[in-house]
Amino acid sequence: MDRITDLIKKSPFVPIQKHMEVSLRSTDELLNFFESATQSKWEEAQTTRRKIVDLEHKADELKAEARSLVPKSIFLSVPREDVLELVKIADEIPNIVKNISGLMIGRHMEIPTVLIPNFIKFARECAEVCRIASNATNQIDELFQFAFGRNAAEEMQKLLTELDLMEDRCDETEIILRSELFKIEKDHPPVDVMFLYSVINKVGELADTAETVGHRISLIASK
Amino acid sequence: MDIIANYGWYLLISGCIFGFFMAWGIGANDVANAMGTSVGARALTLAQAIIVACIFEFAGAYLAGGEVTSTIRKGIIDPSLLADTPELLVFGMLAALLAAGSWLLIASYNGWPVSTTHSIVGAIVGFAAVGISVDAVSWSKVTSIVSSWVVSPLMAGTISFMIFRSVHYLILDTDDPFNNAKKYVPGYMFLVGFVLAGVTLLKGLKHIGLDLSFFEAIQYSILIGLGIAFIGSRFLKKINNTKVERGDIVFDGVERVFAILMVFTACAMAFAHGSNDVANAVGPLAAIVSVVQSGGEIAAKSVMPWWILLVGGIGIISGLAMLGYKVIETIGRNITELTPSRGFAAELAAATTVVLASGTGLPISTTHTLVGAVLGVGIARGLSAIDLSVVGRIIVSWIVTLPVGAGLSILFFFTLKGIFS
Repeated sequence: MDRITDLIKKSPFVPIQKHMEVSLRSTDELLNFFESATQSKWEEAQTTRRKIVDLEHKADELKAEARSLVPKSIFLSVPREDVLELVKIADEIPNIVKNISGLMIGRHMEIPTVLIPNFIKFARECAEVCRIASNATNQIDELFQFAFGRNAAEEMQKLLTELDLMEDRCDETEIILRSELFKIEKDHPPVDVMFLYSVINKVGELADTAETVGHRISLIASK
Repeated sequence: MDIIANYGWYLLISGCIFGFFMAWGIGANDVANAMGTSVGARALTLAQAIIVACIFEFAGAYLAGGEVTSTIRKGIIDPSLLADTPELLVFGMLAALLAAGSWLLIASYNGWPVSTTHSIVGAIVGFAAVGISVDAVSWSKVTSIVSSWVVSPLMAGTISFMIFRSVHYLILDTDDPFNNAKKYVPGYMFLVGFVLAGVTLLKGLKHIGLDLSFFEAIQYSILIGLGIAFIGSRFLKKINNTKVERGDIVFDGVERVFAILMVFTACAMAFAHGSNDVANAVGPLAAIVSVVQSGGEIAAKSVMPWWILLVGGIGIISGLAMLGYKVIETIGRNITELTPSRGFAAELAAATTVVLASGTGLPISTTHTLVGAVLGVGIARGLSAIDLSVVGRIIVSWIVTLPVGAGLSILFFFTLKGIFS
């Protein structure tokens, strides 16, 4: 029997929030992975890598769940396209993490010792961007509770300013890291250097993606 | 005339039994939609919801159920055409009760969303138009009833939209939602008391010896509204701005203030439901009783014996107590998205619409009205996701129910006629 219950559907943002938590856990694992990799503890890294792969699967499931909650017959209080776009972008985070760890473990990629401090700093900052993006995702609850008020939107805006600031710091560290690598690139095998650049790129991409997630949410909040 | 004289008591008793079971069915199935929202929003526990439903369904049926009952009883059919064959009216009303009852049974067994109101109206129109004559149906009344089925969800949706926007403007989107909630919520409580008391006093209370003029009724309604707001604000005083876990949901101070308000709107909802839907069961019964008791005379002006509303009220309560609580429990467990600040807006809008219809004597579907109200809250961005396919299914069942109810009642009508002649 169709009842009032059938009319009111679960918010698609619940699985999206869970998805973001999973992404956050996977970026945390990536930090552990870098820790092991920079010390050439490849067995440890392998264990962490498996965790990352598992998290990526979990994220895929949540992505599917979120999508299943927004069929065309559902009337949403936010544009459906925005929700689907948010899911799509957010799902890139665990994918990128998996790619980075795969790339490094496959080649047993050594990070030159001089680069390690800034590399770890860079990775931490990128993970921090993801954390703020996840906070913004959780803020969506508030947004709904207060039915998209001015106040909730302002709260969201504050988080986004923080997000942009952190992303800027990431960019700065990335520039420093690249210039450090540039200085020593002639002393290392060119293929290794190529891949190292590629890893740095991908870590930067992580922060970019997290920032885009935040901006999507702010778009949803402001409508 | 002979049939009435010889079998009058049999017909009366079967009418009572059918009417009672129809009411029982409403209590078992239909009340759940009205009360489930409050349980789902964790404003009431299951036990509280049943107590509220018992008291206010009964009060609604008894105090404000008269107008709709009289529409079902003598508004849809023109009884003057039946002056020579009063037994046809009795058969017809029995057939209508049987038809609506069995259709509801089939529908709920198969999980189809069917309105008791639509079934009974379809059934009455069916036996009257085919079994008696097309002219026996008061088509202008039927037209106004059918258009009220379109208007009532729209009206409830518009009201709930406005209520929720006002909540948004006055409370949610302010710097201090909690204190503003405490400040403005008694105003909504006043509205609850005022609307309910207003419709009841204006329309319903002649049978208990209270005949008020329009201005008296308005004055008393304002007083009752103020009284309700005062009682409500006493409860609000106890609430502080901390988060409390209720079931599986965490409520902050604002939502807990609305939860108190929702206790009041839940009462209103039960009252409204009782005032409108009980007539589906007792309206036909009232028609049978008035024919049988007058010994076969169809006196359009005869006063309805008020014990009939008691039969309906008791039927609803027993249906609720025996089966309905399970349905409420299921509904309550499944809604977690509808928080008290949303639920109250939907309930207040639906209750207002239904009570107004009851006052005007229009039989409408409480469930459909509530669906309209929930949609209104959704459009006001109070709910994150609403399934429109449910609305589509309801409209389909709406259209199917009328011919099916009519067809079944025609079948039962000729069967009864065959048995007794």
